[in-house]
Amino acid sequence: MSSAGTNAFVLEGVRRSFTHFALQDITLTLPLGQIMGLVGPNGAGKSTTIRLLMGLLHPDAGRIEMLGHSIPAEAAAAKEEVAFVSDDMRLFGTATLQWHMDWMASMFARWDARFAQELLSRFNLRAGQAVERMSQGEHVKALLLLALARRPRLLVLDEPTSGLDPVARHELLTELMQVVREEDRSILFSSHHTADVERICDQIAFIDRGRLVAASDRESFLERWRRLLVDLPPGSAPPRIAHTVDLSLGGRVASLTTDRYDGELHARIEAAGARVLEVQRMTLEEIFVAIVMKSRQEGMA
Amino acid sequence: MNRSVFWALVRKDLYLRRAMIIAILVVGLGSLVLASFGGRAFAVGGLLFLTANVAGGLFMAALSLFGERRALARGFALSLPVSGRYYDLSKLVSGFLAFGIPWLVLTVAAVGGMFLPGGMPGMAVYALLIQLFVIAQFAVVLAAYSCITSEAVSGVVILFVNVALSLFMMQINQPEILGPWRGDAIVWTPFARVTLLAELAVIAVAVAFTYIMASRRRDYI
Repeated sequence: MSSAGTNAFVLEGVRRSFTHFALQDITLTLPLGQIMGLVGPNGAGKSTTIRLLMGLLHPDAGRIEMLGHSIPAEAAAAKEEVAFVSDDMRLFGTATLQWHMDWMASMFARWDARFAQELLSRFNLRAGQAVERMSQGEHVKALLLLALARRPRLLVLDEPTSGLDPVARHELLTELMQVVREEDRSILFSSHHTADVERICDQIAFIDRGRLVAASDRESFLERWRRLLVDLPPGSAPPRIAHTVDLSLGGRVASLTTDRYDGELHARIEAAGARVLEVQRMTLEEIFVAIVMKSRQEGMA
Repeated sequence: MNRSVFWALVRKDLYLRRAMIIAILVVGLGSLVLASFGGRAFAVGGLLFLTANVAGGLFMAALSLFGERRALARGFALSLPVSGRYYDLSKLVSGFLAFGIPWLVLTVAAVGGMFLPGGMPGMAVYALLIQLFVIAQFAVVLAAYSCITSEAVSGVVILFVNVALSLFMMQINQPEILGPWRGDAIVWTPFARVTLLAELAVIAVAVAFTYIMASRRRDYI
């Protein structure tokens, strides 16, 4: 069934194998107007997933649809409304940014020259500068300018902040957030910087070793995941609580990580004879590490 | 296919290769002027002319395909509304235009120069066969570069086409082959006819090969 009109993209049971790596059964949907963060360690399969989505790789199995177009067959048509920026992407070195802007304007009827000029000053870029003389941060901003001024319905960003120093990364994300806040645009943003993803994304998908290990909206992740410090009675074993993702012991205090936190959890722990000392919220990075570790343990079992 | 994107990619390559196009033209035409002085200048000019053509073609093919891949600009080009197949075809078209334009000017100048006062019109066949060999060589290199990713293999391709050029030059300069052209009459000897057909066939096969490879390619990373 086509998801045109409701979803920015759909990946269903997508697989792709290489000699030393396989992407397995990726199923992921991004509703229109939402921002999804694709998070995973280096080599997890983020870029492969994105290249499959963009039609740059053919899947071995599964279905891919982007803005109602079947991928890879209709990738060229889909890319009319999709802009893609990747950390390993470069502009044409000897040409200036102005040349790139004019070139893009000649291709895209929806090219917004006024917006491009606005981004130029907002990103503090010089149009007459040859691309090869730009710093890494300027280069990423130039790529983003060219992507955004096309007014795409879907923006795909593959590790755009990789290789930037923390200040440039912060600056870039601030600018990006400001721009996307003004627009009703769908974004897929891949990164291994969970803090970046936490800042800008509504939906988060975690990927590790070619498998999608969790996907949900950001609030669900942040609300459901907790680390509880539990005081155990002398000589007793830690309570067996459902949905415990990780359990570590330090003397009488157990640290219990759960992915289904609710008010009843206290009662269940205390009914088991233990006492909850503290409930800690978890950052997305901590959640990510816990999910990946659990997934790897399950994979080894 | 989005035609405007396809032609924009071709235009882009011509713009980025403009310095190389001008360099081939300047060196090529300059060497023809030098050759027109005759004697030793003719030999030096002829060698320079051939070098401008051959090296220009090899550099053009390498810059166009390997250059864009190495500089990671191919990812940017492929992010545009163009299929991988048409991206490859844009490379074929822009490659032939970027090298074909200076090649055509130099061919017209070299062949036409034989008809100028003091020239030897019969040698127009000789000049044309050499120039067609050069464009056939370019077509082979472009076809090879469009489907190989290893720079080591590309070195083997360069070696192969250079050996082929050396053998061809040895053959075409044999006195019995060159003899019939040393006059005012245009003579299409059996050697000239076979060579002409072989060169045109190589160009056709190389172009068809590039087109088929572009149509079959599935992955662009």
